[in-house]
Amino acid sequence: MDYAVRVEELRKVFGDVQALNGLSFSVDKGEIFGLIGPNGAGKTTALRIVSTLLLPTSGKVEVFGLDVVEQPEEVRKVLTYLPEEAGAYPNLSGREYLEFMAKFKARDKHELKEFVEEAAVISGLGERLKDKVKTYSKGMKRRLLVARALMTKPRLAVLDEPTSGLDVLHSYHVREIIKRYVKKHEVTVLLSSHNMLEVEYLCDRVALLNKGRIIAEGAPEELKEKFESANLEEVFAKVVKIA
Amino acid sequence: MLKGIGNLVLKELKELMRDPKILLGMVLMPLLMFPLMGTIIGASMEATKEKLAEMHVLVWDKDCGSYAKNFTEYLRSYGIRVHEVDVSKLSEAVALMPDYNATLLIEIPNGFSENVSRVIEGNTTVSAKVEVYGVFSGSGMFEEVGVSMVDALVESYNRQKAPNPVGVEKNTIVKGEILEGIDPGTVSGLMMAQSITMPLTIMMLLTFAMQIAATSVAMEKEEKTLETLLTLPIGRFTILAGKLAGSTIVAAVGALAYLVGFQYYMSSFTGMIPAEGVDLAALGLVPSMLGYVLIGISLFVSLLSALALAIILSAFAENVRSAQSLIGFVYPLIFLPSFLLMYMDISMLPLSLQILILAIPYSHPILASKAVIMGNLSTAVLSIIYVSAFTVVILYAAAKLFATEKILTVKLRMKKLKIKWKRKASTES
Ligand SMILES: Nc1ncnc2c1ncn2[C@@H]1O[C@H](COP(=O)(O)OP(=O)(O)OP(=O)(O)O)[C@@H](O)[C@H]1O
Ligand SMILES: [Mg+2]
Repeated sequence: MDYAVRVEELRKVFGDVQALNGLSFSVDKGEIFGLIGPNGAGKTTALRIVSTLLLPTSGKVEVFGLDVVEQPEEVRKVLTYLPEEAGAYPNLSGREYLEFMAKFKARDKHELKEFVEEAAVISGLGERLKDKVKTYSKGMKRRLLVARALMTKPRLAVLDEPTSGLDVLHSYHVREIIKRYVKKHEVTVLLSSHNMLEVEYLCDRVALLNKGRIIAEGAPEELKEKFESANLEEVFAKVVKIA
Repeated sequence: MLKGIGNLVLKELKELMRDPKILLGMVLMPLLMFPLMGTIIGASMEATKEKLAEMHVLVWDKDCGSYAKNFTEYLRSYGIRVHEVDVSKLSEAVALMPDYNATLLIEIPNGFSENVSRVIEGNTTVSAKVEVYGVFSGSGMFEEVGVSMVDALVESYNRQKAPNPVGVEKNTIVKGEILEGIDPGTVSGLMMAQSITMPLTIMMLLTFAMQIAATSVAMEKEEKTLETLLTLPIGRFTILAGKLAGSTIVAAVGALAYLVGFQYYMSSFTGMIPAEGVDLAALGLVPSMLGYVLIGISLFVSLLSALALAIILSAFAENVRSAQSLIGFVYPLIFLPSFLLMYMDISMLPLSLQILILAIPYSHPILASKAVIMGNLSTAVLSIIYVSAFTVVILYAAAKLFATEKILTVKLRMKKLKIKWKRKASTES
């Protein structure tokens, strides 16, 4: 079967820091795959390599069969990336920002409009889209960026902590959107998160990362069974302790 | 009343002083810059003095009397290289000047000796005139030093003999044309205003443009928009080109405004001081249309290279503030030629400095403007070619930087360097 993302023996070294140490996993088409792990485990580094921002020190990464090192430009056509810490141009209005981003993917005016309308729904920002981004709260900005990443219905959405900084209701809303998108538009999602509830609810499969490698992998249900835990939080604590 | 201010100031100082770029830019730079400027200006004055000492003067003695001979000898005794020429027309004498490398021509008219002796004997108070022709070359502040030196020498000659037996009539030679009765000092005074304004304006324009470009990249980093931008389905070079084009458009508007202002400024002199009959346009000291185009191109390519350099530097900065202080390191390369070329012509500098000034691309808009005004269009073209080549190299480097992950990770290397220094320092102590 073809994978949406295939990561093999991935290593990344920053000077003295070994951020990724032989990381391997694969994401099936149309699934939501979650990377979880303690701070500094290498989640962001892995997602950045998949998104062609960083080059692997060694190993192989393919996105829909496209090599991220050999064909980065092709890879960029099929994915969108939501950085962990991201901003928008402060002097553009929310709508202008979305239009700016949509223009890179839209094939015509009609599609452009469609993308922006879609983003308006996802972000739930309504009338506030007319305001400049610099007047937004942290959560509003995040919703704008999540909407940006999903509005074009990319084949792969790489989302680094999509709901960080969002309140309970908006996190819930964003999760619903992600879930709906995957079903409706055949979007594959690769995300990272610190919120175990979210991961349990959203992800078809998760990989537990520690010190740059995977120490446990499977569907949330499987993992809970395997580690005799009531929830993923417990699994996380147990596995990290063992490792 | 200002409770807690001490604590606040301490925090400010810590925060600012621990940024090595600010420390270097604010403290080290002026410490280096001014002694360097001093040395260079000193060296240039020295060079000017030497040039004067080797000043060649053509003397056309139509009188051939004893006082004429005496006066010529007097000039010689001050170390001035005097060459006597025997011609029949003034234009012939002027034509001979380049052969002797002379910048001054002194014409001693018929009846000079007789006139001088009559003054000395007290028979008349009308002094004998010598005609001095100074070549105006647009070289800089010390342009008319040669003529004033003749003035001074005549003064001291007079003191030796009697009250004012000799007077000086000043004339100017511009591009081989003789302007009767016009003091080279007047022409150079008029040109002076321009020779200060132009480098100053170019300096402001270049620094302003660099600020814009550096800020536009640093803003992407500070506002955390760069990562998203780099994962969009557009070429990395396109992103760079977009940044360059954005800043270039702003800068080009600046260059245009500069040119319009400069043109207006220059034309405001035409027809000024009609009493003296000095008209820069009539003297051919106002650029032609082609000249303006060349000045424009020169300015534009220099701007482009400055912008590309600013973009490269700002890639090393994590925010706008440190980007600003990083490009501060380029400013001496802009200020130095501007200040130097304000005071003097490049030909008056020692060879090593000439090479330095020529190597700095930001000197070239000034050099090209000067060359255009003096009618040396080919010099301006050469200068444009050099700066264009430099610009291509810088653009290539910027493109390389944007094509890799370095644009995102390069600042961390600097942090590592700092840690290494610290480790080294601590192991050494
Ligand atoms: N650009 C970089 N330069 C140097 N080291 C880096 C860089 N990016 C990440 N690292 C290091 O790599 C390791 C993994 O970092 P990464 O950001 O991938 O972790 P993470 O799992 O996303 O953590 P978090 O949950 O805190 O977001 C860390 O030790 C980090 O210090
Ligand atoms: Mg992270």
